[in-house]
Amino acid sequence: MKTMTGFKTLVRREVVRFLSVFSQTIFPPLVSSFLYIFIFGLSLGQRIEQVNGLPYLNFLIPGLIMMYVIEGSYANTSSSLFISRWANSIEEILVTPLSYVEMVAAILIGGLVRSAVAVTGVYLVSLLFTVTPITHPVVALFFFIFVSLTFSSIGMIVALVAEEFEHLSLVTTFLITPFVFFGGVFHSITMVPETLRWLTHFNPMFYMVNGLRYGMLGTADAPVFMSMSVIFGLFIVLFSVTVYLFRIGYKLRK
Amino acid sequence: MTPAITIQNLTKYYRQFKALDDVSFEVQPGEFFGFLGPNGAGKTTTINVLTGLANYQKGSVKVFGHDVFGDYRETRALIGLVPQEFNFDPFFSAEQILMFTGGYFGMPQSAAKTRAQELLKFFDLWGKREEGYKRLSGGMKRRLLIARALMHRPKVLILDEPTAGVDLELRYLLWAFLKQINIDGTTILLTTHYIEEAERLCNRIGVIHQGKIAAVDAKDALIRKMNADQVELYLKEKLFEIPEEIRGVPIALENEGKVLRFAETENTVPHVLRVLHQRGLEIERINVVRPTLEDAFRKLTQKK
Repeated sequence: MKTMTGFKTLVRREVVRFLSVFSQTIFPPLVSSFLYIFIFGLSLGQRIEQVNGLPYLNFLIPGLIMMYVIEGSYANTSSSLFISRWANSIEEILVTPLSYVEMVAAILIGGLVRSAVAVTGVYLVSLLFTVTPITHPVVALFFFIFVSLTFSSIGMIVALVAEEFEHLSLVTTFLITPFVFFGGVFHSITMVPETLRWLTHFNPMFYMVNGLRYGMLGTADAPVFMSMSVIFGLFIVLFSVTVYLFRIGYKLRK
Repeated sequence: MTPAITIQNLTKYYRQFKALDDVSFEVQPGEFFGFLGPNGAGKTTTINVLTGLANYQKGSVKVFGHDVFGDYRETRALIGLVPQEFNFDPFFSAEQILMFTGGYFGMPQSAAKTRAQELLKFFDLWGKREEGYKRLSGGMKRRLLIARALMHRPKVLILDEPTAGVDLELRYLLWAFLKQINIDGTTILLTTHYIEEAERLCNRIGVIHQGKIAAVDAKDALIRKMNADQVELYLKEKLFEIPEEIRGVPIALENEGKVLRFAETENTVPHVLRVLHQRGLEIERINVVRPTLEDAFRKLTQKK
């Protein structure tokens, strides 16, 4: 009984789910990344001088990729779990012999796979415009995996707390998007007025964006080990909270 | 022998409301146990605690000796649940729903596929296997719920109102099926509104009323304990009043004086017969009315 079959099945369920609604899960990032690269990178970017010694387009792409990692992971787990709660089909999972850690981990991996698919697509789209190197692949992979898992956890927590479907997008609109934008998707901290720069250091997204930027371009606004520690610490805390909520059955068990 | 289900002093609150109040009962392996009670008595809550869908505050709940809280993985592997309400995964087809469930319970994909196909055919869902559950009729959804619960061949099958809103034909089919898997060794706990259903299928009955266990017993013992047999004596000639010697019995004169009716308790039958004989009253025939489970159920769940 203590095999991985149950866990693998739940991962498969999560993946088949987002693939079955691919027009809502996979296509949008491809289309919008094309637009972002075209408008910001090509058209406006030509008026911006080099950033940290790199063409603006190359500077932009790791930021964009990180944005889709964050949005895709959050969107996947939050909607998957919220719909399961709403349809009561979460009970299909709760009555099985899966451990709570397995339940949470499988759903998180669903978010990871979805953002892997989306991000691969976005990178391929970006190749139409420019080739962005991946200088430190292990570092890039580290940031991709742990940022994705972190926002997958946040998605699960929000799905448990939320009472209505709109609550999920409220978090995107009022928290995730502003923090991601201020975290430096489109700009370098050097472009921010000096009096406000210190604020950026309290924004966790700043470390995520710059972590991946270092992994790809080999240069970034934040020291890479600092970024790694922030992300890893955040993931451990949020993962534990999610498992804890499953263990006590927060809004899952009556 | 370790009981299939052991519930001891189970107490559960929904906020201030005490939904279960010191509930205790056991279900032995191989039993077909009927769990009866009016709406809101606590049947579904008890089932939810057993299957991991509800928390509880006090007591101990075990399945084959494993604690549903501490050893939840073991207990959940042993149980198959047919819930009262449809709770299917909205993204998938009937066949996928069954296969995922098999997988969650640890069945390898090939085994889950074989089992799912077997159940889809048995429950006459084969033609609809690629449909999402929303496109199935009410009866088909019920059958799919049962098929899903049986995927991993559970040792304990828990059914929460499985025949609610089901037509007569399907109901008879389900009854025959449940009887068969019970004979084959599956322990069954069934809640139902149709007392007749419990009377036909179950060998032991628990009655819950306002969160408390009102009675647990073998079906026949429970029926007899709650209501005595009623004896009806049809007399050859009309009586105009009940003879003095038997007025203390609780006895009624019915059918314009042609029938004497009384409960069969200790000595009432010989006593009444003796008196009638002494008075020279002849009896045409005797009828004994056996009480039903419904009579017992009514008595146990009368509003206090």
